[in-house]
Amino acid sequence: MTLTYKQDAVQIQEVCPPTESSNANLQEQVHRVTLGKQQILVTEDEPLLAQLERAGIHVEYQCREGYCSSCSIKLIWGQVSYPFEPLAWVQSGYLLACCAIVKSDIEIAFFD
Amino acid sequence: MSYSTFNRKQFDSMKEPMFFGENVNVARYDQQKHPIFEKLIEKQLSFFWRPEEVDLSTDRKDFQKLAAHEQHIFLSNLKYQTLLDSVQGRSPNVALLPIVSLPELETWIETWSFSETIHSRSYTHIIRNIVNDPTLIFDDIVTNKEITKRADSVSKYYDNLIEMVNLYNTMGLGTFNIPGKGEVEISMPKLKKALYLTIASVNVLEAVRFYVSFACSFGFAERTLMEGNAKIIKLIARDEALHLTGTQHMMNLMASGKDDPEMAAIAAECQDDVRNIFIEAAEQEKDWAKYLFKDGSMIGLNDQILGQYVEYITNVRMQAVGLEAHFETKHNPIPWINAWLVSDNVQVAPQEAEISSYLVGQTDNNLDDSDFDDFDL
Ligand code: FES
Ligand SMILES: [Fe+2]
Ligand SMILES: [Fe+2]
Repeated sequence: MTLTYKQDAVQIQEVCPPTESSNANLQEQVHRVTLGKQQILVTEDEPLLAQLERAGIHVEYQCREGYCSSCSIKLIWGQVSYPFEPLAWVQSGYLLACCAIVKSDIEIAFFD
Repeated sequence: MSYSTFNRKQFDSMKEPMFFGENVNVARYDQQKHPIFEKLIEKQLSFFWRPEEVDLSTDRKDFQKLAAHEQHIFLSNLKYQTLLDSVQGRSPNVALLPIVSLPELETWIETWSFSETIHSRSYTHIIRNIVNDPTLIFDDIVTNKEITKRADSVSKYYDNLIEMVNLYNTMGLGTFNIPGKGEVEISMPKLKKALYLTIASVNVLEAVRFYVSFACSFGFAERTLMEGNAKIIKLIARDEALHLTGTQHMMNLMASGKDDPEMAAIAAECQDDVRNIFIEAAEQEKDWAKYLFKDGSMIGLNDQILGQYVEYITNVRMQAVGLEAHFETKHNPIPWINAWLVSDNVQVAPQEAEISSYLVGQTDNNLDDSDFDDFDL
């Protein structure tokens, strides 16, 4: 499948979560997620869904494994990638929050 | 063109469309036109479970303690689910296997249908455990007006497709006079339209129609009632989430024209019909919620909340097949349901309920472990 938002699978290395406070030199990429009037900072360490939830934002989900498409949300602009190709169909212009890794600042929306 | 169980023609199955091309001959999976269906098969096989592994002795006691109107809710949902899985356990096979043209899709259809038979067997397991005479429940499924109304809507597209394909296989293309039906035109566009609408209605069946029932089952379990049943429903919901992805792929592949260029035009032409199938099903499910709660609600759920949930989940599903959301409800009125629907830790033994997936956040895995603490196996 060639979909704009489903980019080539990136090889995510098993990076242990930083344990010491001196993690400044760990190349932790932080990106800004815009959702309406809210802005949330996310990292590339885990999928968007879990990070939105920690920010108190309810996102619909079911499988959390990329096969049910319940967590599909609109990607208005920006880049995400999938460590492995989800089984669910990813509509062009949408992302699957449960398995998408945010790769740039992005803007998302729930329903039109 | 009559069906052959082993097509003798030589052809390149990689060039066949999903449906209405050559009948499949060699069941080979080393090359796949649409590898997604092979992946769905693997996933479904990894989900394999047996209802008998879930102990329901506590549910039996729970059921006896339920108020009469709650028993009505519980049993009605079971009946409706039994209907839906009776249809799903056979219809993909009967309707789709005679017209499928890709080996990986053929096997997905069989695998999919087989998993529905597990669902059906689980209802027998549940019903046998909570009532003394299962016949009373099963017999009501074909006579109860509220259920039979739904039986019509879930089977009519399948039945129409099956009838048309039967004619096509015996008579070929043309217009035929069928006793009791008059003139019936069998053309490729008509057959493909019937197929597309069938796939859409199956998507709605699995992606929307089950969810009122799921919500009630988990509503009971939130009160630590009927937890064995909830465990089974979790397993069923996991399968259904995969099935709906199967039909979403079929619909989206058809609409994209990448599989069969003719199908893209048909999908475009059917857009309003498909919207209406979603909307009609949602309305029926809202009515169903009213029927369930006609003698009283259950804690945390009533027909209004469930109606909103139906609208919400319908929006989510419409969007997944490229349709605009139809309903106003843009928020899930029962967000707690997702913690029950989530597919991790559905292992039968609670002590095995390890979180295996890196995707699982900290927010959702507390609930289930503790909920099953007092659940004896
Ligand atoms: S929650 Fe199922 S695909 Fe994301
Ligand atoms: Fe099922
Ligand atoms: Fe199903």
